[in-house]
Amino acid sequence: MEYKVEAHRIMSISLGKIYNSRVQRGGIKLHKNLLVSLVLRSARQVYLSDYYAGVCLNAQHIEAKEWELMDADREKLIPASERHVGAEDGRASRLQEKDGDSLDPSDVAVTSPVSPAISETQCGSSDCETDADAAVTEGDSRQPPKDHACSHRKRSAEETGVSETPVKRTKVTPNAIVANNEIEEGEEMDTSNVSNLITIFGSGFSGLLSKDSAKSESETDDSDSGSGQICCEQMLKNLNPWTTAIVAF
Amino acid sequence: FAGGGVGGGNDFQWCFSQVKGAIDEDVAEADIISTVEFNYSGELLATGDKGGRVVIFQREQESKNRPLSRGEYNVYSTFQSHEPEFDYLKSLEIEEKINKIRWLPQQNAAHFLLSTNDKTIKLWKISERDKRAEGYNLKDEDGRLRDPFRITTLRVPVLMPMDLMVEASPRRIFANAHTYHINSISVNSDHETYLSADDLRINLWHLEITDRSFNIVDIKPANMEELTEVITAAECHPHQCNVFVYSSSKGTIRLCDMRAAALCDRHSKFFEEPEDPSSRSFFSEIISSISDVKFSHSGRYMMTRDYLSVKVWDLNMENRPVETYQVHEYLRSKLCSLYENDCIFDKFECCWNGSDSAIMTGSYNNFFRMFDRNTRRDITLEASRENSKPRAMLKPRKVCTGGKRKKDEISVDSLDFNKKILHTAWHPKENVIAVAATNNLYIFQDKIN
Repeated sequence: MEYKVEAHRIMSISLGKIYNSRVQRGGIKLHKNLLVSLVLRSARQVYLSDYYAGVCLNAQHIEAKEWELMDADREKLIPASERHVGAEDGRASRLQEKDGDSLDPSDVAVTSPVSPAISETQCGSSDCETDADAAVTEGDSRQPPKDHACSHRKRSAEETGVSETPVKRTKVTPNAIVANNEIEEGEEMDTSNVSNLITIFGSGFSGLLSKDSAKSESETDDSDSGSGQICCEQMLKNLNPWTTAIVAF
Repeated sequence: FAGGGVGGGNDFQWCFSQVKGAIDEDVAEADIISTVEFNYSGELLATGDKGGRVVIFQREQESKNRPLSRGEYNVYSTFQSHEPEFDYLKSLEIEEKINKIRWLPQQNAAHFLLSTNDKTIKLWKISERDKRAEGYNLKDEDGRLRDPFRITTLRVPVLMPMDLMVEASPRRIFANAHTYHINSISVNSDHETYLSADDLRINLWHLEITDRSFNIVDIKPANMEELTEVITAAECHPHQCNVFVYSSSKGTIRLCDMRAAALCDRHSKFFEEPEDPSSRSFFSEIISSISDVKFSHSGRYMMTRDYLSVKVWDLNMENRPVETYQVHEYLRSKLCSLYENDCIFDKFECCWNGSDSAIMTGSYNNFFRMFDRNTRRDITLEASRENSKPRAMLKPRKVCTGGKRKKDEISVDSLDFNKKILHTAWHPKENVIAVAATNNLYIFQDKIN
């Protein structure tokens, strides 16, 4: 699906920007990183929505489902390996097969009055250069997942304005851990100690910038999409640690 | 409506006046102008750059001898305001880039301004010296002390005229009060205090006291994971010394009254325009982030700049702006590319003219836009060396958004996104504007018919 490729690309770019912000002069810029993290979260939700096609309910319910399903799949996804790429795809297609037919028409109907209008502006056309017509066409049997994903994106974007439980927030914090280490007299800038960020991602992604993957750490001069690409690929093999990382991030 | 029509209700025509800066195509990063500000009378024009330098221009007095110079701005003083610093404790380099300059109202012969980088604010005194004391008793002309045993007479120094020298000296250094990056400073109408804002906090200072400041806004959450928005700009009300506003990355503005509480975490007014759901996109949050907020001179309105538009708000109406002006709506379909090349994070500023009848802001391709609030006319002009013949009238520019491109129009894809005009300033009394285009400063004036 084109939108999935686009979401993946935006995630790569976003991760690359966060990665590169470490080496920028003047320290990590909180504002920019906050905005990048919002885009990253939206892209992630669009990307992951593919796995849960058919779960076409309101945003918070969907997120709850995501967490549940991910927990259930924890066992299957533990170590990173080539095998899991296939397993993920297989699981995804199984989900789609299972749910595609049983896609509740009423669910789609609930969102469809809204989604054609939205899909043109967001799924498509403009930002992600996908075929706007394809997004808006109705009656196509392949459309429901796409419309659904568009609705997802709208709702996921809306989510940022809605108050949620802290654990689901993927907010900027280049150093969530440092927040706990604040010194009383001279407060440390929470974005200063970048190595903590690496630690977070390292434990979460187990491959993003981990001890095993020394290659990633040495690539300090990569372009945004380059380093982001590596991060993303390794991330995709580890869905479960990804959620942990997002929480921490 | 060739060449003008915007800027005060009358038919003004904008003409090139001067350009300052290197012509060289290769732009040194340190020369990039990062702030522009006229002083209260408009006699002085200050610029700050990424290299930490401040350059002040002074307007020539119009004289009968040189009628054509017509109030040109020439260099008055240049000094190094901030140096790069290194915070060894946090292993962080602190950029010397001047983020903002704000003038103090003039109270005596000297001029005072505040300049700030990411962490430290400095109060500079710029004074003229045209006399020198000569004939000291205890030291010779070089300044070296004379041998006391050889001093047998007493003489008193006398003041002798000398070539005019303009000196800049740092009078106060306000440091160590900001954990995050300072984005704004604003002098209060009481002329005694000023505020400084970073991403999460706003501090109130007294101009005389450097070792203490009051924290008046703190939006840092207890748990940084819950951070949802940051402060992007702040400004004191031009007349009410107890009122200030600050804008956020979520596109909201909060007006606070310092009389209400010591810590102004609870706003007095909250300005937010409901989002148009049909224009929602992946990058909605980013483009709604406000990059600049400015009160009108009257104090009745304020203006905010977000990525694609400028909005004028009536302080008495919180639920929506009274006027919205599209700066470059044609970029809405390009947001993904602009995100990739980081342009979507550019922070454009905006400014009012002296009578609050017109507003100005910058765009890409060295274009800048002016909007007349009364006639609702708008114009796009370009700051370029090609249009830099003295008193040459500026031709309006147009961006072709689709369909057949007319002659003299430029298509969206041909725009140079490296040529961005982020900083502009309007003379407080006259129709003279200063436009910073990367490392060049353009000055335009209206042509008096």
